[in-house]
Amino acid sequence: MISERAFIRVSIIFSYIVLALGGLFGFLQLVSRTPRAPKLVDESQYYAILTGHGVLLAILWTAFFILGLAVFVVSSELGKPFRRSLLAVSVILAILGTAIASYPIIWGLLIGEPTMGAVLYTFYPPLTAHPAFYIGLALVLIGSWVFAASVFDVFIRWRKENRGIAIPLGTFGVLATLIIWLEATPGLAIEVLYDLIPMSLFGKRVDVLLDRTLFWYFGHPLVYFWLVPAITAWYALIPRILNTELYSTRAAKLALVIFILTSTPVGLHHQFADPGLNVAWKYLHTVLTFAVSLGSFLTAFNVIMTLAHAGILRGGSGLFGWISRLPWKDPVFSSITLAFILLGLGGVGGIVNASLNLNNVVHNTTWVVGHFHTTVGGAVTLTFIGISYLLAPVLLGRSIASQPMARIQPYLWFIGLVVFSIAYHIAGIYSAPRRTYDYSYGGLSPSMWEPLLQIGMIGGLIFWISGVLFISNILLTPFIGRPAPKLDGASILGANGSNEKATLLDRISLWVIIAVILIIIAYTLPIAELLGRGLSPAICITPAGIKPFT
Amino acid sequence: MENKGGREFIWIASVVVVLAIFLGSIAYALRLGYSVASEVSVMPLEKAAGLFQPGVKDLGDGRYQVDIIAFLWGFRPARVELNNPREIILRIYSNDVIHGFQIVGTNVNVMVIPGYIATVIWRPPQNINGTLLVICNEYCGIGHSGMYMEIVIKR
Repeated sequence: MISERAFIRVSIIFSYIVLALGGLFGFLQLVSRTPRAPKLVDESQYYAILTGHGVLLAILWTAFFILGLAVFVVSSELGKPFRRSLLAVSVILAILGTAIASYPIIWGLLIGEPTMGAVLYTFYPPLTAHPAFYIGLALVLIGSWVFAASVFDVFIRWRKENRGIAIPLGTFGVLATLIIWLEATPGLAIEVLYDLIPMSLFGKRVDVLLDRTLFWYFGHPLVYFWLVPAITAWYALIPRILNTELYSTRAAKLALVIFILTSTPVGLHHQFADPGLNVAWKYLHTVLTFAVSLGSFLTAFNVIMTLAHAGILRGGSGLFGWISRLPWKDPVFSSITLAFILLGLGGVGGIVNASLNLNNVVHNTTWVVGHFHTTVGGAVTLTFIGISYLLAPVLLGRSIASQPMARIQPYLWFIGLVVFSIAYHIAGIYSAPRRTYDYSYGGLSPSMWEPLLQIGMIGGLIFWISGVLFISNILLTPFIGRPAPKLDGASILGANGSNEKATLLDRISLWVIIAVILIIIAYTLPIAELLGRGLSPAICITPAGIKPFT
Repeated sequence: MENKGGREFIWIASVVVVLAIFLGSIAYALRLGYSVASEVSVMPLEKAAGLFQPGVKDLGDGRYQVDIIAFLWGFRPARVELNNPREIILRIYSNDVIHGFQIVGTNVNVMVIPGYIATVIWRPPQNINGTLLVICNEYCGIGHSGMYMEIVIKR
């Protein structure tokens, strides 16, 4: 049984450990794959490390930070206690699952059997890892469902006593995040429980096209599971920091509703290059992906208007005069605002990815790597870094160890990411593939690849160093940070029991029903096409090319 | 600051117009001819050895059918020469794991899924000639980065 405060501490501090390890893996593979840079790891280690980098950072760092943040926001805004047993079960399952899933990757590297866990974070069958990899992921998944139950339990109790009252914005964001998660995870659960665990344990034959479709049913909403908390944080924190109000709360909630509605029925945009899915369904998913982008466009408008108003109130004049009046030296503000700018970069690239004919040029190239580093590595991670600076007094009872280091760190992250991702985007247009250890291809590769990948490495190293600054700052805080006055969540979020009336936007159950209908429309057709043609199950093979069950 | 004339809705309307133009142009491009794989046929692993033979068939009039096997870790045939092709029907098959098939510098980019034949019809523009690099662009195990082939186009 653990308190909310203990839960927040455990999950966020655990997320920092995951971030540090995932970052180390990032450094090793970044350098190793760059032409003419030293090969720090060999080819088979490379793919295990790449798997670790993806699983630890994209799935686990984000998830653990979000769990802690969600409890912080909901308990501060709604003022209702969580059921401690549910919190305890969820965090234990998630940490245990992480340990089990990491075992084949880390132990495999240590004992010189890196192919035990080298299936990358998309783990497409029939490549197979040690069963612990899939079992651990399943435990994390179950833990996340228990967590969602604990939040909905609090929300339902609050709702009963506050009928007709608008849902506070932060809590609205948490609910949107968890609804997206619950919409998406059945796809992953079916793939892992029905196909991948039996495949790795007993050699069950699996249809790869069906499993890819199930994976991406989950895989794209996962992106919004990361992004919605970050966006909610912008809405909640930017006005607080600037001592102003959000330009439009209504538009903010509308954006979150758009994410609830359309973040799931878009997964086929990861499968534009898959044969065997009719181009009509692919076009439908392009349309729906453009619809989900409306949520981001609306956010961009709302945040910029809020920033501009604050700048003008501080005496900025002219079209751009407000920009210089903003508190750029405040690390919380700069992290969050730079993260916001990175989402702009990622969003424009995302429109290209979602356009099914343009996607053909960039599918599985370094363009994609550049893209998701601006989103999950930029918009999401830099926002969480900013929140960490804000929450350090709450989490650790002390203010951050070095304020000057915290001031520089977000800018380094931003510059590094921009250099890295622009270089990788361009290399992708020249067809440089992602996920590969060696770019030489018998001397046939285009001459543009080498310089672009090298520039990308420099950018990557800059934001890696920025990550080291962040982690060491956090690590030093309990020892040399000055004791901070105890802050409670309500004062950070400005939650003082507003009595605004609920509107149509607050009718969450209505949005969930529409979302489910959209999902059914968007996925019935492709699944029927797949099953109608007849499946063609494949035999599992390890990354070393060995068939373990024949 | 709520509700200053609903400027957010003016913004959203403009975004919708821009996105609609994008969607219209994608639809138009599809009508012009979209030479990427949405064609597939099932080829069970057990039957492939007898039924799917890698090689080049000259169909006459500048049309070629090229059948390729993608495997751990290479393509068979590893080199294909085509004389002034107008239309190339690429059929690629895998009987182990997922591979990618991307002709570097073009928009031919398709996933090769085990148990299925992927078909791409490509009409190479006249300015494409010489040796083209084809790479596997989906991770397929520890030999992945060594998996590539060449297509030579003679004009």
